[in-house]
Amino acid sequence: MSQEAVAEATQQVVMNGTFWTATAIFLLAYAIIVSEKIHKTIVAIVGAALMLVLKILEQREAFHVEELGVDWNVIFLLISMMTIINLMRPTGFFEYIAIKSAKWGKGEPFRIMAIFAVVTAVLSALLDNVTTVLLLAPVTLLIADALEVDPIPYLITEALASNIGGTATLIGDPPNIMIASKAKLNFIDFIIHLTPAIIVIMVIFLIVLKFVFGKRLQVKPELKKRVLEMNEREAIKDPVMLKKSLFVLGIVILGFVFHGMLGYEPATVALFGAGLLLLLSGTHDPHHYLAEVEWPTIFFFMGLFIIIGGVVKVGLIKWMSMKVLAITHGNMFATSMLVMWFSAFASAFVDNIPYVATMNPLIIDMAQQLWPHLKGVELLHNPALMPLWWSLALGACLGGNGTAIGASANVIVVGMAERAGKRITFLRFMLYGMPIMILTVILSMIYVWLRYYVLKV
Amino acid sequence: MKVKEIMEPVIDYLSPEETLKDAVNKMRVARRGEKKVGVKGLIVLDEKGNLVGMVSIKDILKTIIPFYMSYTSLGEFTWDGMLEDMAKKVADKRVSEFMTKDVITIDEDAPLMECADMMVKHNLQRVPVVNKDGKVLGIVYVRDLYYALVKTLLDKEA
Repeated sequence: MSQEAVAEATQQVVMNGTFWTATAIFLLAYAIIVSEKIHKTIVAIVGAALMLVLKILEQREAFHVEELGVDWNVIFLLISMMTIINLMRPTGFFEYIAIKSAKWGKGEPFRIMAIFAVVTAVLSALLDNVTTVLLLAPVTLLIADALEVDPIPYLITEALASNIGGTATLIGDPPNIMIASKAKLNFIDFIIHLTPAIIVIMVIFLIVLKFVFGKRLQVKPELKKRVLEMNEREAIKDPVMLKKSLFVLGIVILGFVFHGMLGYEPATVALFGAGLLLLLSGTHDPHHYLAEVEWPTIFFFMGLFIIIGGVVKVGLIKWMSMKVLAITHGNMFATSMLVMWFSAFASAFVDNIPYVATMNPLIIDMAQQLWPHLKGVELLHNPALMPLWWSLALGACLGGNGTAIGASANVIVVGMAERAGKRITFLRFMLYGMPIMILTVILSMIYVWLRYYVLKV
Repeated sequence: MKVKEIMEPVIDYLSPEETLKDAVNKMRVARRGEKKVGVKGLIVLDEKGNLVGMVSIKDILKTIIPFYMSYTSLGEFTWDGMLEDMAKKVADKRVSEFMTKDVITIDEDAPLMECADMMVKHNLQRVPVVNKDGKVLGIVYVRDLYYALVKTLLDKEA
């Protein structure tokens, strides 16, 4: 991109009163979210309302314009998946999986740790990370009590595995859901581009675990019996509903695999699954299952989308994207690496949802400046742009491992440990999390470099 | 009849600083009425005699059962000796950590119906009776309330 073109583009951003008002709302909202002085959902709702009341965005734009408003694909995908899980949870399926895993581990403490890590990663790839950790952590604490071992290494390992596993698929982690929706990428795109990287990362993660914990964890033989004597079948509370749930989950996963081919958005697939399972459950009281949807998270998303819509409309995001291009001079490899590392460190300390919500339009703006003649999917899926989306996903998801507040799964694990009378300090989590984050991002960097810039496949 | 007419005096109570083990022992030897010994719950008073909590058998069991068991149903996967081990682990826990803090009390001049309604609604076995200043004057037990009822009904019939 020539200097004149940049100069010309810069002139398109009019820094008037509206621009500064929107920017102030955006910065203030993000600052309060980071400070945690006020609940993030309330901040997002108030910020969004201000964008509308001050007429930076029209309500029509906030609710009905794809580029500026609420991303309903993300919202309905999240609501539907949460509803499916809420219906599935009482069947005891997750407890069954967890107890079965512990028995597979034959009561051997390291084997159990490794199996739990893999199970957490796989479940996190298919469900959301918070649900996975929330379901597995209680069983982990029980198993740790049975074996009389310290539960903390297990809990931290699960949080890390959950963030790694969640990176593998479109539905695994909210950043991926948001990226997929904005970049019009489908489930298979994620399987082809991210899953291989995550498999490699997961294997190396397990090797590191073996190295760190392999010898340290010892258990008296008589305690192993406690685990081996557990009967996982007793976990199943409602076998009929379990069958229905697995049937619907199977359809939903198949639907995700083929949604691109069939021309459905992921939210359509998930909504169908939620509707079908509600119908099959025979419940006359959907209120309970729907009430358990994490509405604060959903409203956080909606509020953020509107706040971001405001700063996109006034040109702040465009201005930011030009600054990024000025640093990287349009070198896409350098941009990818910058995006990956910046995303990782940003996500380690701040919520990756608002971060990715900001980065998505920024990357699209950047692409528009680099390839002004391209539009729509041609622009979004430009081969030179693709590594950027994957770098954003890898950085933002894996970055969550850096600190105890980097991802919701970490926060939950720390909370559970505290209730079990075992405090995980910010530093202790970082001692495990930060090296793993740096290691996994280095691996991702090598992956992106090799695959997209050397082998070009 | 008013609540204060059927309440029993406070003889034994716990302090927030005592341990779970102390509490269990006190409950074992606490007097109940004239002759009987052993109670299923005690009020907790601070050094100034203010009511700060209540401890029942259920509170003690709740603190022994690991919190993670309340998240999901894991009762089937426990082992022989687990309750005993867990009880030993929490033996030194302070009363202030496991007592019920939001104690429902009743005014000394409250009618019995208010008391009965309260006990059924909140599933209470014992309710501290307080005066206008919030000082505990006694405790009304569900059985005392019931005896009052029995007396009324049977006297009438007689």
